[in-house]
Amino acid sequence: MIALTGTPVLHTARLTLRVPDLRDWEAFAAFLTSDRAALVGGPVTRERAWRSFGHLVGHWVLRGYGMFAVALSGTEAGIGMAGPWFPESWPEQEIGWSMWSAETEGKGYAFEAAEAARTYAFAALGWPTAVSYIDPANTRSIALARRLGAVQDPAAAHPGDAPCLVFRHPRPEALA
Amino acid sequence: MIALTGTPVLETERLVLRAPGPADWPQWLAYFGTERSRYSGGPLAADRAWRAFCHHLGHWVMRGYGSFAVTLKGGADAIGLVGPYHPIDWPEPEIGWALWNPMHQGKGLAFEAATASLDFVFRTLRWRTVVSYIDPTNLRSVALARRLGAMPDPVAPRPHPDDLVFRHRNPLGAA
Repeated sequence: MIALTGTPVLHTARLTLRVPDLRDWEAFAAFLTSDRAALVGGPVTRERAWRSFGHLVGHWVLRGYGMFAVALSGTEAGIGMAGPWFPESWPEQEIGWSMWSAETEGKGYAFEAAEAARTYAFAALGWPTAVSYIDPANTRSIALARRLGAVQDPAAAHPGDAPCLVFRHPRPEALA
Repeated sequence: MIALTGTPVLETERLVLRAPGPADWPQWLAYFGTERSRYSGGPLAADRAWRAFCHHLGHWVMRGYGSFAVTLKGGADAIGLVGPYHPIDWPEPEIGWALWNPMHQGKGLAFEAATASLDFVFRTLRWRTVVSYIDPTNLRSVALARRLGAMPDPVAPRPHPDDLVFRHRNPLGAA
């Protein structure tokens, strides 16, 4: 059986975080092809969404870490993603997150997932610091970054040419 | 250890074909930095080349098969990418091939790798049919398709209107 193996699974109070797989594809594609994706570089065609999904999976192979699919514990399909993220050419390592549908918003799931992902990046991967790159119009994500204790780092570089805020998370020792 | 596992390895007289992995990234990046990659969607800046490479890795997980990194027996470095490939928007699966460096050209290595890939999809994956999509200006690839016994299929749908479609022979008989 061809699979990505040796990958971690994280559990929070309500969520299971695991490597993305085909169970997540339809929800991911629906998200990325919808207006909801406008704040994360979308919307894109289903074809581009497929390639982006491949990128999620391949990132794990190349980096040894990546975005976790976030599922409600006891259910199969992911409702969003969160995780350590560092594509080629990015200035530094990020903690990213997105919830794929409006129904799963406003329940604190993204916070719960992002916090678990950040803990993983610091404790298991040994990252000394992490940022989150956020579209200035993405008020929900900005609020979440603040709730996670991250503060804007105007001097830090960001990927791409589009306007982008850099939120820097508290250092691991400050969270311990 | 996080890894793509369970993937097949094909051996030919001079080559080993295996799933691509992190060690192949430098060669991949170098290839996409050259004009030689124009028939593979290049040249690409490093960030785009990274996404394309990740897509090939993810393709293995999503489809249960994917394109093979080609290595010379006795050498660890990949010299090209050859094999089955089927992004979601393509009309049907294809066998693709690219050797990344001119030094490996003209030795029949692409033919050898493509032959092994065809054998794999027909005998192991039990595909009934498979095509190769080729840019009409890519004369080397057109010649290779013909040498493999593939025939033009002018009515088959194609990802890009300018592509040629070559349909391969199924050695097991079914077409």
